[in-house]
Amino acid sequence: MTDPNAIENNPFKELGEIPRMKFTDGYSVHSTYIPMRDNIKIAATICLPKGISSSDKIPTILTQTRYWRAMELRIPFRWILDEVVTNIPNPEIITGRGYAYIITDVRGTGASYGTRIVPFSDEEVKDGNDIVEWIISQSWSDGNVVSKGISYTGITAELFSINNHPAIKAVMSGHGFWDPYTDVAFPGGVYDHAFMQLWSFLGKNLDLNNPKVFRQIMPQVWLFVKGVKPVDKDIYLKNLNEALIIHKSNQYVYENTLDKNFRDEKLPDGTTIADISIYERKAKIEESNIPILAWCSWLDSGYVDAIIHRFMNLENPMIAILGDWSHGAALPANQFFLDRKTVTPSPRDRLNAWINFFERCIHGNGFHGKALYYYTLVEEKWKKTMIWPPIGHEYKKMYFSENFSLLKEKPDIIAGEDEYKINFRATTGRNNRWWALLGLPILYNKRAKIDEKLLCYMSEPFKEDTEITGQAIITIYLTSTHEDGAIFVYLEDIDEKGNVTYITDGEFRVIHRRISKENPPYKIIIPYHTYNEKDADPLIPGEITKIKFGLHATSVLIHKGHRLKIAIAGADKDTFSRYPAEGKPIIKIFRSREYASYIDLPIIQRAKT
Amino acid sequence: MEELFTTLKNILKNSIVIKADQPNLIISIIIKSEFKGNIAEPEEVLVMLKMFGGLREEVPLDIEIDNENRKVNLKFENMENFEKILGITTKIWDNAVDMLIQVTEGNFDVIRDIPDVDE
Repeated sequence: MTDPNAIENNPFKELGEIPRMKFTDGYSVHSTYIPMRDNIKIAATICLPKGISSSDKIPTILTQTRYWRAMELRIPFRWILDEVVTNIPNPEIITGRGYAYIITDVRGTGASYGTRIVPFSDEEVKDGNDIVEWIISQSWSDGNVVSKGISYTGITAELFSINNHPAIKAVMSGHGFWDPYTDVAFPGGVYDHAFMQLWSFLGKNLDLNNPKVFRQIMPQVWLFVKGVKPVDKDIYLKNLNEALIIHKSNQYVYENTLDKNFRDEKLPDGTTIADISIYERKAKIEESNIPILAWCSWLDSGYVDAIIHRFMNLENPMIAILGDWSHGAALPANQFFLDRKTVTPSPRDRLNAWINFFERCIHGNGFHGKALYYYTLVEEKWKKTMIWPPIGHEYKKMYFSENFSLLKEKPDIIAGEDEYKINFRATTGRNNRWWALLGLPILYNKRAKIDEKLLCYMSEPFKEDTEITGQAIITIYLTSTHEDGAIFVYLEDIDEKGNVTYITDGEFRVIHRRISKENPPYKIIIPYHTYNEKDADPLIPGEITKIKFGLHATSVLIHKGHRLKIAIAGADKDTFSRYPAEGKPIIKIFRSREYASYIDLPIIQRAKT
Repeated sequence: MEELFTTLKNILKNSIVIKADQPNLIISIIIKSEFKGNIAEPEEVLVMLKMFGGLREEVPLDIEIDNENRKVNLKFENMENFEKILGITTKIWDNAVDMLIQVTEGNFDVIRDIPDVDE
């Protein structure tokens, strides 16, 4: 992960101060049901500092999960570890710093009652309000509640603010989406089949309390977890078994989206994917004006763009952070430093930084304005900006040219094209930015070998160090033998020895190619494709067509002497659906004066020294 | 991570004592930790022996859960079975953590032949 010596503009250093320990005797754990407005019972596990007196009043950190709030461990682990062990280091640090820590199973999951048709439903969000009411009625509560989480729980934390309850003082949302259509389900309109299927499979098994799922996908968890933890009084599992029967009515995103293509297509309950987004709830989040700390990584799925869009669009006081780790910062992921074994800052240091943020919002002056901290790969430096894109940002073109070169000069030839037969065996494997959402490490290795299956263009060695920060935009003129297809573009660095390192990528389904003149639902800095059914525009086989789309944001320093490579594929078989479903398309990419294909690189102009 | 696993092994060994009463063919698993609640269901003890002890055959034994004294008694009818399970239990905590280490490192072979214990 990040260079531990990078201090300047380091958000963790700026948020950090030496934690003031308040309770050092550990924590106690108990669990109960919290009744909701519609009599649904939500299972909650409560960790309190040991040694808290009846006169002590403390704030609460809340996490609302769909992955079991607490685990029933197998013996012998149950005899020595508590039910929140998988939350390490959360409880001990949180309670040690004088907070209660509450984890709940969202409705329809874990030991909670209720059903779920879609994740992040309005009812699930409203439960946050009922939970806050319950928390502040507890004898130990000082009336202040904050929420934090990563991934699913990061999204529930951000949506928690919608309740606009006066007790809610801040939220910390790590690695969560902004636009579920483009950030995770259909990046560039291309269906992330692998994630949607596996995430649904995992969810379904969790909701039915079936630990077998772990044996298949997380054996380390299966070895010590027997199931979800029932609440304390449910000794004979009456409540749990009732809840599990109700969960059988749950619906899952894979079944509901597999046959879908468009952003505006209705799901079985009449909603669309957009309805569970953050951006559709922007006004309510802003109404709360609750400070938000949002963080993610350049390498994590489309969630990197979620941070950028959150920063550009929400008016709440905000600290946004983009680093170089895997999903949830579980593992290092900087592809330029694959030998790094540990994550800096550590989970403990990160958690202390988040609590420092909460402390400032509850007891200090709070936060005003917005700042985005981002880590530039290769340069290994933290930077801070108040606007996005950062000052100095400008696009510079590099054109696809003869002999698979990438030049600054526009081609001046009347005809030029490269033919590519789509290789449907092309893959980034199962350690890419999309599988990372399932907890897998991010590793784009052997790129030179993989690129042999792709159509590639390579630049001359750079004459000076060049910072690329932002979202590159690709413009391709192409013909295809088929009406449908997908384009995958990989941006790579090549060093003097020929080592190829993945920087970022973008994917796009060509039927969504029409660039809309309508206002997008939120501010973006790349071409706007609606992904709506009315705008679908299949290719006419053999007709030259312009395809233009943005890549996922990045920040990287290209060293003097290094070259850039653009590798183009038509499939990523282990992750995305195949377009078209059948057939063997051949595409031609044009690079002539009239049809000049190119990439717009987001360069940061550096002050001359 | 390595430190964590070493600590886990030590906690298991220090918190759970195994005593063998050879004349009476009883193996006792005594829980000395602060764990609260019922010790286990008899079926869970069998699962533990299968998962972490490598038990693959049916061994006749009585499993007696003594929640009051925080103890599990395994009673056998003959010396052969008593010794078989005693052999398993003496190294079961090391095995359990070693398996965790293996799967964490991506070696899933160690769990491949564990029978279906989740029914």
